[in-house]
Amino acid sequence: MGEHKDRNIECVLAILQKKNPASTKEIMAMRDLFPKLCAGCASGGDVVLAGKSLVEKGIVERKWSSIGFIWELVSDPGYEK
Amino acid sequence: MKNNKGVKMVVWSRIRKDFPVLNQLYEGKNLIYFDSACMALKPVQVWNAMEYYYKYLGACGGAGRSTHCLGLETSLLTEEARKKMTSFINASDVNEIIWTRNATEGLNIIAATIPLKKEQNIVTTTLEHHSGMLPFLKRSKEVGSEFRLVRAKNDGTFDIADFEKQIDDNTKIVSFVHASNLTGTIAPLKEIIEIAHDHGALVVSDEAQYAPHAKLDVKNLDTDFSVLSIHKACGPTGVGVLYGKYDLLEELDMFLVGGDVIEDVIYENGQITAKYLPPPQKFEAGLQNYGGMMGASAAVDYLQNIGMDNIRQREQVFSKKLLEGILEIDKFDVLGPLDYKQRTALVSFRPKSAEINHNDIAEYFNDMLPQHKILMRAGNMCVHPFQYQIGMSPAKGEGIIRASLYIYNTINEIEIFLSALEDFAKIIE
Ligand SMILES: Cc1ncc(COP(=O)(O)O)c(C=O)c1O
Repeated sequence: MGEHKDRNIECVLAILQKKNPASTKEIMAMRDLFPKLCAGCASGGDVVLAGKSLVEKGIVERKWSSIGFIWELVSDPGYEK
Repeated sequence: MKNNKGVKMVVWSRIRKDFPVLNQLYEGKNLIYFDSACMALKPVQVWNAMEYYYKYLGACGGAGRSTHCLGLETSLLTEEARKKMTSFINASDVNEIIWTRNATEGLNIIAATIPLKKEQNIVTTTLEHHSGMLPFLKRSKEVGSEFRLVRAKNDGTFDIADFEKQIDDNTKIVSFVHASNLTGTIAPLKEIIEIAHDHGALVVSDEAQYAPHAKLDVKNLDTDFSVLSIHKACGPTGVGVLYGKYDLLEELDMFLVGGDVIEDVIYENGQITAKYLPPPQKFEAGLQNYGGMMGASAAVDYLQNIGMDNIRQREQVFSKKLLEGILEIDKFDVLGPLDYKQRTALVSFRPKSAEINHNDIAEYFNDMLPQHKILMRAGNMCVHPFQYQIGMSPAKGEGIIRASLYIYNTINEIEIFLSALEDFAKIIE
C-alpha cells in the first residue's frame, strides 16, 4: 500500500477495507475514522477521483446505483503490482 | 450582419465554431460544457494572439525594460491591451488598469494595502466568494478593526436596508460580489455604492462573474475598485485585472515590491532609498505575463465584437430555459432567485432528497450518459458561509451541482441536459 503516494487514495482504500462495498456518501461519512489519511480528502469530488484512479488500477470496481456510485474493493491492494 | 432595426445580429453557430474544444468527441462522446463560471473556454482568436507573442516576440516589455525591436513591440502590444481593457470596463484612464494573476490577487491587493484604522470597519456579505471575503477578514484581524457581514436573503438576493444598517461613517470599505458564482444573483451594486459613498466608504466590486456576461461600466457605477477574472471571459488563465480610481490607487501602499515598480533605488551614505513608479506600474512587480495580456486583449475584442448586450440577452434566454426546466422536474432545490432576470446563466441545484453525494451527480453526467459528457462542477463553489446560512453543511460533505453557461452553448444543449436530468431524477427516486 505504500506505493500509493496519494493520500486520498489511501483514505478511500482504508475505508473500503472497513466497509466494502461503500457509496461515495458512506465513504465521506467515514473519513473521521482516519483523520490523518483523510485530511486532504475534503470533498466527494476527492473520493470520486481517488475511486476512479483505483478503478483504473483494477483494485476497485465502480457501479452506479440509485444512491450514487458504489465502490467495491475487488483485489487486495497489498498484492497489486 | 444587422437586423431591420439596425441592431447587430450575432450568428451564434459561427461563434461556437471558434471553440474547437466543443467540436471534438471526447472518449467518443459529444461534450456539453456547462462549467464556464469556473473557466470559460478560449476561442482561436485568443490563442492566435498568444501564439504571436510566443512565436514572434517572446521578449520582455514594460517600463525601463529592453528597447530593442522585440521588447518595443511587446511593450506596444501590452499597452494596447491595457487600452482595450480600459474601454471594456469604461474606465477613465489607462493608468487605472492593473494586471494581476486573477481576481483573487486584485482583492488581496486592495485588502492588504488600503489604509485602515482600528476604529474603522469593513463590510462584506454572506454571499461573497471566499476571495472577496477572506482577504478582508484577514486584514481586519491584523488591524483589530470590526468585520461586518450583510446577510444575503436565503433566496440569494439582498435587502438594501441591510446595507444601510451595516454601513456607517466608520466603514472604510465594502467588498461586494456583483454577480454571485453560487446563486447567479445580480446584485443592485449601484444602490449599494451610493449608500457606501454617502458614508464616505469605498467599494470594491467583485466582477469575476459579471464582466464576462454583461456590460460593466465602472464610471457609471462609480465603483472605487473592481476586480476581473480574465479566464472567465474567454481569456487565458493566469490573467486578472484590478481597476481602481487613479487618486485612490495613488494612496494605496505597495503590495509586491522588487523589479519593474521603481523609478530608482538610490544608494547614498550607506542607505538605500527606493523611489516607486506611480500606478499602475507600482502594482506590477517583476516581469509580467505579456502573452497573457495579449490573449486578454484578444478576448476583450472578441466579446466586444459580439456585443455585451447581445451576450446578456442570449444568456437570459438560457437562464430562463435552464431555471424553469430544472424547477419543472420538481425533484431539485435551486439556490438563488427564481426570477431568471435577476440572474446570470448559471443554476446551482441539489436533489430534494439528498441520499446521493453531489459529486456523484456531476460524475454521472460526466461519465454515464450514452452519447454526451455534460461537464458541470460539484462542490461548494468557495461560498461556504452562504451554504451554512441556508442550513447546508459543507463540513459534512453537503454541496451542490452547478450548471453555468456561456456564449458557445446552445438551447439544444440545455434540452439534452434537461432530458437527461429528468431521467436521472427517476433513477434516484
Ligand atoms: C465571484 C467570484 N469571485 C472571485 C473569484 C476568484 O477568481 P480568480 O480565480 O480569478 O481569482 C471567482 C472564481 O471562481 C468567483 O466566481
